[in-house]
Amino acid sequence: MPPLLEITGLCTEFHQKSGVLKAVRGVDLALEPGETLALVGESGCGKSITAASVMRLVPPPGRIVAGSIRFKGEELLELSEERMRDIRGNRIAMVFQDPMTSLNPVFTIGYQVAEGLRIHRALDRAAAEREAVAILSEVGIPAPGERMKDYPHQLSGGMRQRVMIAMALACRPELVIADEPTTALDVTIQAQILELLDRLMSENSMGLVLITHNLGIVAERAHRTAIMYAGEIVESAPTAELFAHPLHPYTRGLLASLPESGRPGEKLATFAGSVPDLRGELSGCPFFERCPIGDERCKGEKAGMTEAAPGHLVRCLKWR
Amino acid sequence: MTALLTAENLVKQFSVRGGLFGEKKTLTAVAGVDLELHPGETLGLAGESGCGKSTVARLLTGLIPPTRGSIRYRGEEISALDRGGVAQYRKDVQMIFQDPFSSLNPRMRVSEIVGEALAIHRIGTPPERREQVAALLQRVGLSPEHLSRFPHEFSGGQRQRIGIARALAVSPRVIVADEPVSALDLSIQAQIINLLQEVKEDLGLSFLFITHDLSVLRHLSDRIAIMYLGRIVESGDRENVLTAPLHPYTEALLSAIPSIDPQKRTRRVIARGDLPSPLSPPSGCPFHTRCPYAERLCSEERPELLEKEPGHRAACHFSERIYRSQ
Repeated sequence: MPPLLEITGLCTEFHQKSGVLKAVRGVDLALEPGETLALVGESGCGKSITAASVMRLVPPPGRIVAGSIRFKGEELLELSEERMRDIRGNRIAMVFQDPMTSLNPVFTIGYQVAEGLRIHRALDRAAAEREAVAILSEVGIPAPGERMKDYPHQLSGGMRQRVMIAMALACRPELVIADEPTTALDVTIQAQILELLDRLMSENSMGLVLITHNLGIVAERAHRTAIMYAGEIVESAPTAELFAHPLHPYTRGLLASLPESGRPGEKLATFAGSVPDLRGELSGCPFFERCPIGDERCKGEKAGMTEAAPGHLVRCLKWR
Repeated sequence: MTALLTAENLVKQFSVRGGLFGEKKTLTAVAGVDLELHPGETLGLAGESGCGKSTVARLLTGLIPPTRGSIRYRGEEISALDRGGVAQYRKDVQMIFQDPFSSLNPRMRVSEIVGEALAIHRIGTPPERREQVAALLQRVGLSPEHLSRFPHEFSGGQRQRIGIARALAVSPRVIVADEPVSALDLSIQAQIINLLQEVKEDLGLSFLFITHDLSVLRHLSDRIAIMYLGRIVESGDRENVLTAPLHPYTEALLSAIPSIDPQKRTRRVIARGDLPSPLSPPSGCPFHTRCPYAERLCSEERPELLEKEPGHRAACHFSERIYRSQ
């Protein structure tokens, strides 16, 4: 059986006046049903554009220029826009970071949750609303019947994020892509939302792509983790393996820079330099300038993905 | 040891209108806070959004006046200071803001942003000021060629360095830093934390460090105070508060932090529901609506912040139970 999601060689570019910004540079990822894959990286590394590419929602002037995205074996990049619309929000759903800007302020919660059911499931209004109440209750919204009539601004941040999750799950998608789903929330609310996502994923054996920069969340929730840097996956492995034996110097650096990794009051590990300019081609390793172990070879030669241990892939010439 | 900065029973209320024609209501953002900041220490103030921690920062730096209560700087009541005293206090107590994008004037060059306070406090001659601004930039890891640039030409981390240079310009003794690293990427966050630690040690500053991130707090603080709905619910030495919390809110907060170390993951204590609105705070203990240990007493009587262990205070009727459950 083909994997739930299989991305190979994905390249997404933004054609701007100032040049071509190559945001995603040949990404390979795969996900099985019931699995949670974490996609980790800092701002600008291309993780959100990778997600938008899967949904075929890359904002212009961006476009997918190469690669393949297969959903249960079906090539999404070859589908007509009409067929894609049947999949989007129905079989693949997305949870966005900021519920305040991704919910429509002029429609009620009930209308927005029921909308997908009316479109994709062809339910009539009454049936869609009954279903929406059930879903709102499932995601832990108290008095869901009354909340249906509320507008987004009447709810707290945690409640809005629950509504976003309810909207995403309304049509029982097989794959959910969650882009920083808890970054805007307080830690105690974050814990509630993550527990909820976990429970719903396993009950419905959905696949989850979890995009985040919070390594603690990744370590606790994801089965597999892929680390992105400058538009490329630089390391990917089963989560426990990745945290126990990080191989790429970027992954190692990220882990060492966490306040949790240091002793109180002692200096934290940092990287020198900054992310390379993503306009145009990069010769050699994009991390070279910041890398503590890089040498002349890394400057000119591009590393491929090496399987360092079973299921543990790393893109580095000097990982040994 | 005498405290450098003291807040006693600090209260700040705002009057808000519910909707365009709604009635006026009183929002109590800070509901009686006591704090002491000692010379050379870092006091970490933690809590979730809306708990009033940023209001405390703005009160202590004199950006807004308190509704009630007292703030003393080096033993003197600041509302009773004369003009010279106020100028000295405003120079000595500086602030670093969370958002490096909105806290720098986009129309000013870096040299003006950092040099402005020197000019206002009439420190040095113009050439001396220029020299000092250049030295400050170097101090925070920027180079003199950045002087003539505008804020939009910098990354988030660099802007936060500019904010730090601005706060250091007038040789303060106290820095109040309100979430200075939470808007930054991981690798940049570590750089700024290191920089803050460095300047604190080199210049012998006292820090009030406000954050919702307990792992940052653990790294930087000597003492920690936890706020909930406008009140301090627990305070004490770092290790005591973080390893043996005496308030159920602290316990929930600590257990909610996801950790990269599987051994550090503890039994998760989930705080149920949402933060109540500060417009209509619950009766009794403000945390009783979400507390796993709450009993009837908790909804009837508000617990005082009391010393439960030497130097370790908590506002909870049932602290012993939390202590025992660990």
